[in-house]
Amino acid sequence: MKLVHNIGYFLREVANIINMNLLSNLLSVLGTGLILFLLGLVITGWNISSKVVETLQKEAEISAYFNETVTYNKAEEMIEYINSIDGVENARLVSETEAFSRMQDILGEEAKILELFDENPFEAYTEVRINLEEMDFVLNQISIMEGISYVRDNKAVLEQVQRLTRGLNMISYLVMIAVGITTLVIISHLIRQSIYNNKDQINTLRLLGAPDSFIGFPFLLSGILLTLTGGILATIFIVFLINMGYNQLTGALPFIPLPNRGTLLLKLSVLLPAISIFLGVLGSIFGLYKER
Amino acid sequence: MISAKGVSLRYKDGTLALKDVTMEIKPGELVFLTGPSGSGKTSFLKLLMGMEYPTTGTLTVIGQLITKEEVKNIRKLRKSIGPIYQEFKLIDGRTSLDNVMMGMRFLDIPSKKIKKIAEEAIERVHLEQKKNTLVENLSWGQSQRVAIARAVARKPALILADEPTGNLDYENAINILQLLYSFVDSNTAVIITTHATHLIQNVPHATCIEVEEGKLRIIKGEARVDETRT
Ligand SMILES: Nc1ncnc2c1ncn2[C@@H]1O[C@H](COP(=O)(O)OP(=O)(O)OP(=O)(O)O)[C@@H](O)[C@H]1O
Ligand SMILES: [Mg+2]
Repeated sequence: MKLVHNIGYFLREVANIINMNLLSNLLSVLGTGLILFLLGLVITGWNISSKVVETLQKEAEISAYFNETVTYNKAEEMIEYINSIDGVENARLVSETEAFSRMQDILGEEAKILELFDENPFEAYTEVRINLEEMDFVLNQISIMEGISYVRDNKAVLEQVQRLTRGLNMISYLVMIAVGITTLVIISHLIRQSIYNNKDQINTLRLLGAPDSFIGFPFLLSGILLTLTGGILATIFIVFLINMGYNQLTGALPFIPLPNRGTLLLKLSVLLPAISIFLGVLGSIFGLYKER
Repeated sequence: MISAKGVSLRYKDGTLALKDVTMEIKPGELVFLTGPSGSGKTSFLKLLMGMEYPTTGTLTVIGQLITKEEVKNIRKLRKSIGPIYQEFKLIDGRTSLDNVMMGMRFLDIPSKKIKKIAEEAIERVHLEQKKNTLVENLSWGQSQRVAIARAVARKPALILADEPTGNLDYENAINILQLLYSFVDSNTAVIITTHATHLIQNVPHATCIEVEEGKLRIIKGEARVDETRT
């Protein structure tokens, strides 16, 4: 088919089709824009939460506390051994003073409470960073060591976070499906409406022998154009929102591990328009197909 | 070019619009279909364009069998036909020129030539001044001429003109008819329906077929209409 040569004609047809039902077309653009914006929000939330999980997983650690009998030299030896266990990334000694000053950092303004103690209430311990997958094995290896009084891990917290993200992923998938279906319904309905409005012209073209691809192409194009406009609107809003959010969050909550802003923005401004084009094509084809 | 054997057409409501038509039309023929209103002239043209299918009998147009199963191929066949409808079927919201060009865009005509051919066709029907006018603003006779321009610009092998002289004054009617005759050549057949028998009496080499209550009866000319069957 002579798509390229007729492109001027097709574009004029698209303008005609959209003009014929301008208000409902504009509303559909807003509607799909809003829906795709929701999708953008979910994708953003998804990105942030998986970044949090990723960061937390790197934080998988065990604290091992010593018996009173363990001397400094003995402790050094034990740490050397722990470092050789499979799955241990790094083990180091945290002295009493370091433990104290860490707590001071954590408490911040509340650190005054520590002054109530006559002497440092903290004891030295080993901080062991590990692979999350090897947690159980390493835990077991360390706890059976002589001179270790007890071990503490943050496994429970990590598992809870993981469960949370799994839930979030579920929601994301559901939202994606909902967005997909809604956009398809809106667009296919719109295309059918346009086809109905143009039925005399379509009928005449058929009588003149025009192939369905020639007749349908402007409708396909207008479907794509409408969803793409919605997609671009959604992208503009989400980019705006993310920029605002990052500016606020990085000031107020510096410890939240946010994904790289540029990467996230790029991802969204490619993904949303791409999804909208895909849905536009599919929706228009449904609309055209039902009208046969 | 056209071959009908025992063709009849019964509409859904039971009207028998054509009865047992057997006939043949060759390339290069000029055929007039005359007959009273409601006799079946338009119905016959509809069959030739595949807008209706024969209820009985066999009909082939430019080698294409007209049956329901052949829809796809009939769509292709229509590219070789230049139809001029009784009610024009122009596309509103477009200019005369756009309407003519619209009929050519999906044919095997180089796209660069489309506009030039369309303009020539518009000139042949003397509508140069109206080529950029929206068709809904044209007079009846002007609309008819746009319809003719759209049909002939396609350089079809078969021109089917339904009442192209209806409502036109004598002079314009003669002009239109002469224009249509001019497209008859060794490859092109032209079929014209008309009430105006007085306009066509002296046309040489024309075949006149009278349609009466769905039956075709040859009055003069070369086309063979088999009347032995009833
Ligand atoms: N779609 C249809 N459904 C039912 N009956 C129809 C249909 N189209 C035409 N008819 C009937 O078929 C008969 C032939 O109609 P047709 O339009 O072929 O006549 P015609 O010779 O073209 O008349 P005119 O000179 O008025 O245009 C008429 O009785 C008409 O009412
Ligand atoms: Mg008629």
